[in-house]
Amino acid sequence: MTSIRRGYLRLAMQSLRASRTRSFMTMLGIVIGVMSVIIVVAIGEGVKQQIGNQAARYGKDVLVVRPDTSGDIGGSGLPGGTASLLTNTDAEALRQTPGIERVVPLSALKGSVTADNRVDNPLVIATTYDLDTVLNQKIAYGGFFTPADGEQVAVLGPDLAHQLFEDTAPLGEKLTFRGKQFVVAGVFKPFLASPLSLEANYNQAVFIPYIAAQNILGTTPQINQMFVKAKPGTDVQALSKTVSQKLTDAHGGAQDTSVLPPGAKGSVSDRVLQLLTLMTICMAAVALGVGGVGIMNMMLVSVTERIHEIGLRKAIGATNQQILRQFMTEAFVLCLIGAVVGVVLSLSTVGMLKLYTSLQPVIVWQVAVIAPLIAMITGVIFGTIPALKAARMDPIEALRHE
Amino acid sequence: MSLIELKDVSKLYGFGDATSVALDEVSLSIEKGECVAVMGPSGSGKSTLMNMIGLLDHPTHGDYLLAGKRVSRLSANRRARIRRDKIGFIFQSFNLLGRLTALENVALPLLYKGLPTSKRNSAARAMLERVGMHDRCYYYPRQLSGGQTQSVAIARALVNDPELIIADEPTGNLDTESSRLVMELLSEIHKAGNTVIFVTHNPELTRYATRVVYMQDGAVKYDEQTKLGEVGSYARNAMYKIPETTEEDDLAGVSVLMKVRPSETESPKKAPAKKPAKRTTRKKKRKAAA
Ligand SMILES: Nc1ncnc2c1ncn2[C@@H]1O[C@H](COP(=O)(O)OP(=O)(O)O)[C@@H](O)[C@H]1O
Ligand SMILES: [Mg+2]
Repeated sequence: MTSIRRGYLRLAMQSLRASRTRSFMTMLGIVIGVMSVIIVVAIGEGVKQQIGNQAARYGKDVLVVRPDTSGDIGGSGLPGGTASLLTNTDAEALRQTPGIERVVPLSALKGSVTADNRVDNPLVIATTYDLDTVLNQKIAYGGFFTPADGEQVAVLGPDLAHQLFEDTAPLGEKLTFRGKQFVVAGVFKPFLASPLSLEANYNQAVFIPYIAAQNILGTTPQINQMFVKAKPGTDVQALSKTVSQKLTDAHGGAQDTSVLPPGAKGSVSDRVLQLLTLMTICMAAVALGVGGVGIMNMMLVSVTERIHEIGLRKAIGATNQQILRQFMTEAFVLCLIGAVVGVVLSLSTVGMLKLYTSLQPVIVWQVAVIAPLIAMITGVIFGTIPALKAARMDPIEALRHE
Repeated sequence: MSLIELKDVSKLYGFGDATSVALDEVSLSIEKGECVAVMGPSGSGKSTLMNMIGLLDHPTHGDYLLAGKRVSRLSANRRARIRRDKIGFIFQSFNLLGRLTALENVALPLLYKGLPTSKRNSAARAMLERVGMHDRCYYYPRQLSGGQTQSVAIARALVNDPELIIADEPTGNLDTESSRLVMELLSEIHKAGNTVIFVTHNPELTRYATRVVYMQDGAVKYDEQTKLGEVGSYARNAMYKIPETTEEDDLAGVSVLMKVRPSETESPKKAPAKKPAKRTTRKKKRKAAA
């Protein structure tokens, strides 16, 4: 039985090779179908994982508190300064709340920074000395500022450090912001940037002490974001409700802040991901449909071109089932090759994307298995119609055909 | 018991006023071991008869018994299996699959029988050897001459050791030399005990037959036993009735006949070029009308 199958396989290969261009064009449908599914899912998964990483940017006991405002500062990701509804008073109130170990405010300031080079409107963030206790981010050079460093110190994101000093480790160098000089105490390691993230790009940021900002502004800066770190053993989910309630009370009953518990992704990126998944499914359906119709067309042409051959095969004793099997084998082989090529090409494309773009696509192996399988099933189903047409042909009519 | 027994077999095409009768109540028995030449003008139903006998077609009316078994009402697949196991076909042209080698072409019926590759190939090789084509196993049809192609087709018809060989104008596209080669092969098969039925327009080739059936308008008009090596008397008659060879007839293949028997008629000096099948058919139709 296997030898018969192998016979069909050889026949299929022969006829596919004989019409190489057409076979190739048909396969292209399947290849593109499989590739688009695997690659889009890989990109989506990459984004998902990056957002996941971002959640891991803070400790598991850290809540992120943001005002619900629409505008933000120049796409920085930090909610807009003037519309900011969080104040130092809120921070102080939270610091008094039981179960909270510390509250770390982030305030965005405007103004240009000058050192060797001048950078206009970088992300200047005023924060407290204990930011490094809530942020899971290593320092590449130096250290995060401590009260012992005084007020006129700064820690840089790696990109901004490079822009200001053309030096990756400008420790001890001075930079000027709003007429004040700051000494560089440290440079962060690169933050994982994520294209669809709601987070600010801290690689482009300079961190200065909250006190220093207070001196510059002459008042306590408004707060764009707060990290709230829970005391050990505290129920973080319950704490997030407490914090939310407290802020609502403090703002006279207005629910104008959101409290994101650890691991929560920004709601917008959630929607983006859903959209991405939906898009993938649509693309997959269209691509596979096109691939299937392509197979059907190609097989129909193939059957029409080979009417005489079918007649001859029947004359020498091929049954309808054997003719059917021959053409089904052709469709199957075509789909199989297309699916394998599709998988190989998507693996290499994903590799290239990883190397040459900021995307970090991740192959989902379930998809890499299921997509080619579905492609093959589609192709074989669509291949049935022409194969049936061939099998049911009248031998004399077929033989009469040139 | 006859190998083939047709009883009042008719084949009609179309409906109502457009009905055409391809076979008109043909009754014919052919014994095992006969070599039958079927002659007749174009459109007289020779191919229809061959297809009927070869189980490619089924009669509109009448009965067909093959080796005593009624086969006129079998399903398409049953008929396919009988074709595979008991009947070998040789057609006028496009006999071989262009994408397969000679060997693969010959082995094809065995593939449909379900034999393993090694057995298929050795049997096919043996058949090619029998028709003198063993050095052309791996040639593709386009690399073979007309005569070689027909030889390979004969090898394929034989590969299943069939009881019946049916050849519909096997020499229709061949020159004299190749025609003779192909007929010699068929003759050898006949002498080895096979039953052979072939269609020809060339009376000269009835020398290879033990019986000549002459068809006209879908009916058997004349049926005679002949001795091997002799042209059938009716065929001889037809042969001498052939009008003066015109240039067109010459191209159409009549000169083949003239060249075979140069003593009988003066043949114009024109080599019979290989001519397309369609052209031949048209000429013959005109001749039949005349
Ligand atoms: N499929 C068909 N439909 C209609 N008429 C047909 C068909 N096949 C054959 N015929 C008719 O049957 C008659 C016999 O044809 P055929 O057996 O091919 O003749 P021959 O082989 O002797 O030249 C012809 O008149 C032909 O037109
Ligand atoms: Mg004919």
